Amino acid sequence: MALASGSVSYLRFFVAPPPEGFERLYAEQLGALRFVEIDPRSEVEKVNGWVQFDDAFAGDFDPGTLVTPSGYLLFRLRIDTLKIPAGTMKAYVDQEAMNRCKAQNREKLSRKELDQLKLEVKKQLRLRSLPKLQLVDIAWNIQSGEVRLFSASKAVAAAFVELFEKTFQTNLQAVGLRSVLWLRGMNEAEVDSLSLLEPERFHLIPR
Amino acid sequence: MGREFLTWLWFEAERNEGGVDTPTFGRVGVDFGQRLSLETGGNTKEGSTVQADAPSQAEEARTALRTGKKVAKARLLLDAGERQYQVNLDAESLTIAGAKLPTMLGPKDASLLDERLRLIDELEAILDEMYVGFVRLRMDEGRWAPVREAMREWVAGSGA
Repeated sequence: MALASGSVSYLRFFVAPPPEGFERLYAEQLGALRFVEIDPRSEVEKVNGWVQFDDAFAGDFDPGTLVTPSGYLLFRLRIDTLKIPAGTMKAYVDQEAMNRCKAQNREKLSRKELDQLKLEVKKQLRLRSLPKLQLVDIAWNIQSGEVRLFSASKAVAAAFVELFEKTFQTNLQAVGLRSVLWLRGMNEAEVDSLSLLEPERFHLIPR
Repeated sequence: MGREFLTWLWFEAERNEGGVDTPTFGRVGVDFGQRLSLETGGNTKEGSTVQADAPSQAEEARTALRTGKKVAKARLLLDAGERQYQVNLDAESLTIAGAKLPTMLGPKDASLLDERLRLIDELEAILDEMYVGFVRLRMDEGRWAPVREAMREWVAGSGA
């Protein structure tokens, strides 16, 4: 699915042309919403942000090398998820509850004690866990305005659009069956006239 | 319009010696690979999926066409001169998925990434040009009417 190797899947978007001397501005804007790792002591389960195309741990962008010689701005969306699976949580909570009951010579913990125990176990497990790391390639053709997101996931696309628009203060338009016609030179009146066409029925007996 | 486009591609691929003409790339060879899904339109969609080496030749696919279904998803094999592409297309969006790019030896100073971006540009342009070509044909009743009749004959089983 990634740009660099293997088979390719991506979603298409379109954005207005960048302003004059955009390199410095865009480098700053990307850096401002760079990826920041989850603090395992917090309760945050998911974070996202921008990283360099070839370094998942670098969120600073150099205006001088921001755009490739072929005219692309390449970067990555990093999404980290730190969530303890329900099954894992249950196993550790059950074990700790059993230990406490045994130590206190009790049959079971109260509801309140159990809730408190869950919080403690979750904190401990988060400190011992690594987040799931997801990297999504982005290729922005500065000249044509086409932005490609190398993912087919709707959830990733939604997170991407939100962060992109916040970062660059611009609207990102998804390319679909109609907008691709504009992009390839058809005028608005022509595209609008398509809505007047009735769907064809090819299975009818020919005249 | 996406399902009509993919169905037309199938028809053109059979009628036009396996190719579709494009303004930039000339004749592009089109074939259907591995898996073909057909659906009826409207709110209650009925579908058929054919999995075979040459699904467009399968009787099951022809039968689906004759019952009013159109191509909803296809794996296309595209032959643009020296370069061959494979891509999954969904008629709902024509989003490019599972695309296999040709392996090329580009100029020595070109990075692999640049080369892959160039190939993606080309694949996208080929598909867009074929789609825009179809839409323009579809909007021109004078040119479209004989194609419609030919497609109906093709669907009815009298061949391309």
